[in-house]
Amino acid sequence: MMDAFQLAVYILLFPGFLFLVLYAFFFKFLDRKITARMQNRVGPPLLQPFADFVKMLAKEVINPKGVDRQALDVAPLLALAAVMTAYLYVPIIGESPLAFQGDLVVVLYLLTLPTIILFIIGWLSRNVFATIGGVRAVTQMFIYEVPFFLALITPALMAGSWSISDIIAWQQQNTWFAVLQPIGFIVALIGLQAKLERVPFDIPEAETEIVAGPWTELTGRRLALMQLSMNITLVTGSALVAAVFLGGPMTPWTIAPDWLSASIGFLLFLAKTFAILLILISITVASGRIRIDQLNDIGWKYLASAAFIQMGIVIMMNYLWVGA
Amino acid sequence: MSVLKEMLENLISKPCTILYPKEKVPIPKAFRGKVIIIEDKCIGCSRCSIVCPSQCIAMVPDQTEIEVKGKKIVRKKRPHVKLYSCLRCGLCEQHCPSDAIYLSNELSCSGTDCKVVVS
Amino acid sequence: MPEILLPIGPQHPALKEPVNFKIVVDGETIVRLDLDISYNHRGIEKAAEQRDFVRVVPLLARVCGICSHSHTTAFVKGIEEAMQLEVPARAQYIRTIVAELERMHSHLLWLGVAAHEIGFNTLFMWTWRDREIIQDMLEETTGNRVIYGVNEVGGVRCDLTLDLIRASFEHLQKLEDRITQYVGMVKNDETLHMRFSGVGKLSKADALKYGTVGPTARASGVDYDIRKDDSYLAYDEMPWKVVTDTHGDVFGRTLVRIGEMQESLTIVRFCLENLPEGPIAVKAPKTAPPAEVLSRYEAPRGELVHFIRTNNTDRVERLDIRTPTLANWTAVAVSLVNQNIADIPVIVAAIDPCLSCTSRITLLNGRNKKTSLMTWDELRSYSGEYYRRKRCA
Repeated sequence: MMDAFQLAVYILLFPGFLFLVLYAFFFKFLDRKITARMQNRVGPPLLQPFADFVKMLAKEVINPKGVDRQALDVAPLLALAAVMTAYLYVPIIGESPLAFQGDLVVVLYLLTLPTIILFIIGWLSRNVFATIGGVRAVTQMFIYEVPFFLALITPALMAGSWSISDIIAWQQQNTWFAVLQPIGFIVALIGLQAKLERVPFDIPEAETEIVAGPWTELTGRRLALMQLSMNITLVTGSALVAAVFLGGPMTPWTIAPDWLSASIGFLLFLAKTFAILLILISITVASGRIRIDQLNDIGWKYLASAAFIQMGIVIMMNYLWVGA
Repeated sequence: MSVLKEMLENLISKPCTILYPKEKVPIPKAFRGKVIIIEDKCIGCSRCSIVCPSQCIAMVPDQTEIEVKGKKIVRKKRPHVKLYSCLRCGLCEQHCPSDAIYLSNELSCSGTDCKVVVS
Repeated sequence: MPEILLPIGPQHPALKEPVNFKIVVDGETIVRLDLDISYNHRGIEKAAEQRDFVRVVPLLARVCGICSHSHTTAFVKGIEEAMQLEVPARAQYIRTIVAELERMHSHLLWLGVAAHEIGFNTLFMWTWRDREIIQDMLEETTGNRVIYGVNEVGGVRCDLTLDLIRASFEHLQKLEDRITQYVGMVKNDETLHMRFSGVGKLSKADALKYGTVGPTARASGVDYDIRKDDSYLAYDEMPWKVVTDTHGDVFGRTLVRIGEMQESLTIVRFCLENLPEGPIAVKAPKTAPPAEVLSRYEAPRGELVHFIRTNNTDRVERLDIRTPTLANWTAVAVSLVNQNIADIPVIVAAIDPCLSCTSRITLLNGRNKKTSLMTWDELRSYSGEYYRRKRCA
């Protein structure tokens, strides 16, 4: 176990909040740059997301008439706090020092908070477009959450533990779950795309239909913090899927010096999250937005059935091969 | 499938953006750009002023001696083109009898003085 | 959820030009809507009455940026018919080439805009990049990328040299490869199918009843194309087909427009290969004899009608422009009922609205259901009265 000083460094500096915020900006830059290059454009320079954040902190906050000011001020902070806390339980350089049995469920719960807060912001904004956007956000959440949760729980079933750090330890001794449960991997990736509200699932923030959905009345520092929490969800979501399906920061064989193992593990973590980001970007660039009723069809007919089939296969495999 | 193939091809090739101001857009010869008046050829007939659709050419009084086709005449007026009202339609160039006013292919971009005049 | 009034416009990210839809929605379905399209009125018809035939052509070129050549050609064709002027063959061919190039770049623009409306920004970027090829071709030939100014009464103003023709063939080859790629992408892309098929369905009977024109009508199986039915310029001298489709929804309109792009490419190639020799213009008389001419033209969006009355002076006495978008608005209002909110930008974009062309006001007295027209003085006194009352209230 770590002592208090080491724990403080872990949480606040590396790989805690400071690294998280910097990595979130870097991820956003990579997202925009690769999307632009795929579309034959140039794309923004490296510090663009950081510059956007700083600029928006300085802009005026506009309060529409009759809107609850304190609630709108607090809501983005709640979302930011939720995803930053969720990040602490995901392994970055080896096991997380805060791991405990059940932290997988806690992380999944905390990652749903930004969507609910978007709905609250949409409802509080007293704006027709924001209300419709907020309702769409919650509807979308009901559709993709069930397959996403199931797809992330099946590895826990096979590994026999509810802690993410135990799941990656199991993968180090056997193989990646992406190889053992490919259906679950694909469902998790699609669920992640829907959670992050990226095309083809950016229905709540459909720019050409309802202006900006729940983001319409967010201005100034509220918008900056809400966007930062969305970027951090991107990092945390990719890190979670990388940990549960691709083995996280664990090397396939143990390397003698501890610090070398940790550094190689960290580089592996960077590579794996980058790979997941590439897959997410490719899905975004190659498709258009679908309607909410079409998402309803796809979500329940295909995604949920695939997740249930995967769960059935895992239960049978557990019973037959892995033992009790 | 063809979308995916094109996406990946674009990822490894150079973007199609022209990085102004380091690279400049090539302007063809026939481009209708800024109006230019050749002083020595204008005979002051006012045809350009009459035919201009946006009425941006004013004839100002100006007594100069010019030589046209071997004969010396005294020109009484000279055109004054308000550059920011000009449509770049080219009708003045078409109707000028002595090829004194024409449209170059210079891009007359933005400026800070709204009263710019070409004379 | 109870019924909500959703205001789309006059300013909205889905609209390129101001139009006001007041839509009443119940959940995500549209119950009824109200339409207001007169935000872009600029008084062009009145301004055209005060300029002579040489100076009015640049004015009419600026009615709309994308259909610029259509308006000037329709007008100039009408005046030449009134004057009974014979235009040389080379001028007709050059006008046809520019007209078909304009149709191609307008349809490529439309494909990009339709993709943007469903969030498919990749196709938007790619089609607009390839539009630059056509605009470069037009810039080398006519001198400007968007508003060409190629027409005058009696012929055209600029000629095609041999170098230009050779360069154009290379550009056309590149363009043909890209258009074939887009045909493949549109036919195979999954999300495009999901958003476009079955949306905004217009049956053939409805299309005829509401007077739709252009690719919107041709996608419902109505075989109506002015280039074949009332031929003008050089269209009856070359082999080409009218593209129709039976789907009737937005996907059908996409297919019709892509087919038209390929046909336009064939026409431009034919014209460039068989360009006749000769002068490019004849000297037109200054005045036109008294006549009433209805000049019809197939713009990229549909049938464009110019009604011209001349009276032996060097100006028109009355010019009335009926643009294709004005004819298609009823179809939009009818096909939007009982669709989703998410389909509004798709259906509106599917008729390719060009609101700069559309806004001509007619007054409707709702109470006794009579239409009336105001004269110029009546309109001025009415507007003065209206604003005086508004300021005092």
